[in-house]
Amino acid sequence: MTDLKEIASYALKALKDAGADDAQCVVARGRTRELTVDGGEISLIRTLLENQVSFKAIKDGKKGTITINQFGKEQINQAAHDCIEAANAGVVDDAVCIAQLTENKDFVTGAQKEDADGLFDRVKEYLQQVKTDYPKIILEQVIAEYSESDSILINSNGVCQRVKHGGYYFNSMFSAHEGENATSFNYCDAQFNDLSRPLLNIGMQRELLLRSQMELEAKRLPEKFTGKILVAPICLLDLIGMALGNFISDTSLIDGTSPWKNRLGSKVADEKLTISMSPLDERMAGGERITNDGYISENYDIIKNGVLMDFGLSEYAAKKTGNKRGPNSSGCMVIAPGKTALADLIRSIDKGLLVYRFSGGQPAINGDFSGVAKNSFYIENGEIKHAVTETMISGNLSSMINQVVALSSETVEDGASSLPYALFDGITVSC
Amino acid sequence: MQDHIASLLDGESCHAEIRAQTTEEVKISVVGGNLVANASSETGGVCARVYQNGSWGFASCADYNQESVCSVLKEAKDNAAFLDNRLKKGKEGLPGTAPYHEKLETLPPPIPRKCYIDFAMELDGYIAKTYPKLTGRRVVAVAEKFEKLLYTTSGTQAHTVAPRVYVYVFLSAETKDGETLELFEVLDGGHGYFPDYFTSTEKYYGIIDKLYHELMDKTEGIFPQAGTADVILAPSLSGMLAHEAVGHTVEADMVTGGSVAGYNLGKQVASPLVNMVDFAHTALGKPTPLPILVDDEGTACEDEVLIRDGILVGYMNNLESSVRYQMKPRGNARAFAFSDEPLIRMRNTAILPGKDKLEDMIASIDNGYFLTRTGNGQADTTGEFMFGINMGYEIKNGKLGKALRDTTISGVAFDMLKTVTMLSDELVWESSGYCGKKQPMPVGIGGPAVKCKVSIGGQ
Repeated sequence: MTDLKEIASYALKALKDAGADDAQCVVARGRTRELTVDGGEISLIRTLLENQVSFKAIKDGKKGTITINQFGKEQINQAAHDCIEAANAGVVDDAVCIAQLTENKDFVTGAQKEDADGLFDRVKEYLQQVKTDYPKIILEQVIAEYSESDSILINSNGVCQRVKHGGYYFNSMFSAHEGENATSFNYCDAQFNDLSRPLLNIGMQRELLLRSQMELEAKRLPEKFTGKILVAPICLLDLIGMALGNFISDTSLIDGTSPWKNRLGSKVADEKLTISMSPLDERMAGGERITNDGYISENYDIIKNGVLMDFGLSEYAAKKTGNKRGPNSSGCMVIAPGKTALADLIRSIDKGLLVYRFSGGQPAINGDFSGVAKNSFYIENGEIKHAVTETMISGNLSSMINQVVALSSETVEDGASSLPYALFDGITVSC
Repeated sequence: MQDHIASLLDGESCHAEIRAQTTEEVKISVVGGNLVANASSETGGVCARVYQNGSWGFASCADYNQESVCSVLKEAKDNAAFLDNRLKKGKEGLPGTAPYHEKLETLPPPIPRKCYIDFAMELDGYIAKTYPKLTGRRVVAVAEKFEKLLYTTSGTQAHTVAPRVYVYVFLSAETKDGETLELFEVLDGGHGYFPDYFTSTEKYYGIIDKLYHELMDKTEGIFPQAGTADVILAPSLSGMLAHEAVGHTVEADMVTGGSVAGYNLGKQVASPLVNMVDFAHTALGKPTPLPILVDDEGTACEDEVLIRDGILVGYMNNLESSVRYQMKPRGNARAFAFSDEPLIRMRNTAILPGKDKLEDMIASIDNGYFLTRTGNGQADTTGEFMFGINMGYEIKNGKLGKALRDTTISGVAFDMLKTVTMLSDELVWESSGYCGKKQPMPVGIGGPAVKCKVSIGGQ
């Protein structure tokens, strides 16, 4: 079998024939061509041909799942049989389910044709531009790839969704060096659908490379203080992601440890904060068209003007906890910008820290966090004074998002998110 | 696994590898008594990698048969040629290695899913019944098996299998102020299959009881004073230190990328008490937690001494970096999935034990901390590191005091290691985690308890 729809139909039938009451299959085929730069030198090209068949069976109220990467009838039949065995070994759970039929669609998104020579030329150009414009930078590793995928989700309720997507992905990891003096590494990621722009102009790379060179003059923080940190978009994604992971994940809601479990519709953050998951936003290169459960994706607000609007749960977790399922499962985060220019935000800070990367432990369930402020700069009297060495920040994620001083009017887009700079108060900064 | 590869590399003039691989994974997760994950996967395929005048080409395919092997080899050659035509590096070929031969013994039959689920549910039942005041509980069982068939132009023919299995328990409880805190423990596991370790749940009740009591201590815990402190790192933390803070900086590709180890080879980077080794398959006369016999470039694995008496003496290499740094490759090129290329990776990295007793180490500190559990760690090419600390106790006048709340420690490896003044006389291994570096990778980490100075976060 080579036709994806035929494989999906065969796999679904195999699951039903094996005894599933409800059955779901995801069948996908993908191809990736990836260029790797190591130590500043192009070193490797990879071509990856991937298959996937994921089975989910519900039998007598018990669920089993299994994934293989073979399209042969024999392997599919065996996997379907194993999936039913797994379900039989499970425990009865009223919340297990498959998607209900609402509307079936076929989606085609992104760049459907690879430009291999074009990507190679852009990478060569990137290496040259970094060498010229940022001579103290060593590119530790760069990965540039084009990938295309074709995926079908089909289930026994009649759901049949198909998404074909192609697009480019870029990741650069770098540090600055001068003699034996070296800075912490930093990195950036981006997704995009065409090669019209030099790679160096995507996302906030130029700012990060410039700051990395400035870090060669890093000094110790003058003194410990509790006060303001200005978080760059690339780091804001991590910190807000940690907060959401703690407070509204499936696991924390199911096991009841989330401190926000009874806060839906209540104010949980500063009113300046609006966080959305927006895979359909035109700034998202890839986005998401079908949720992991098999529904058509929609944008939604998690927090609107500080009020918790949605937990973003899977359908299982939603049923388990008596809430509604999240309208998408993309992670495409958009935080609404503020009205203050970044330069004015910096000017407003008497004493603070501009943070580009956070390297910290998993925050406690209650949101307590601490970690190293990497690639970060001391601000005093409204000016960026110098990069800092070995500086830690600590606080509580819930308290932090309730102490938003301001958000910048500028945002940074990387094809998977759109985020401003955020100024928070009440953070302990120590050295 | 059938052999569709034999003789396909005969006559190849460039270094090349072909690897067929299957990876089997099982994950069972019980959250608050609910079986939220009952999943498994079996993926596999074949890949080829070719080196041409300094450029690499790689290709992989999920189908594994004679036709697909020929196809990925051709695609890998085409990719190497694509780069070589454009870059014209003109480098010489890679050095050959001694051929390594390994044949696989018979594999045990698959473990029924019911074994994992029943075990996890039974443990969950014990926890729910014994500790009703807990606000949350999770039991997670995971098993993996990597089977590889590798051929290289140096003559290596190796058919290997690497299984590992673990069970984790997570407990959470509320403080008097209503804040929820969590602790977790890897109950048991390592190289092998589920029945090799998990025959009876009762065997683990004592470990769960200890975890619960530590969690209760933590609910009444305090935040440490932020700043530099005298600490004792428990063995699980010193293993993390060996891996994150030092190990990554001495991976030769990281050295090429500008790591701090590049200009410290042959220099004193640690207290003379400190010795550190990346072990292959045997350490101090015992099997390592995750023994590796041959790497994915076909090099037979040997131990790599990294720090001897405080002096940095070696890097971990693959074939290409061994030429650059004129060091012997000792089998550190490892790939995770069939679609992954080999990268320089650690295997079983440990700080070697010293001669001190843990009690004496604690007694030697007037004002400091005993840090006992970590959840994760990260390191920088500069040697700066960060560990999350999930559990610990303050030390006052040589005695353990109040428990600590979650915090973070950090430092610069080659500065911090110079502050080491005592090492306990035990080597404790852990192997349940993954190392992340483009691909995940199972690794072993080990060490003794270490007395040193670090920066600690507070509130």
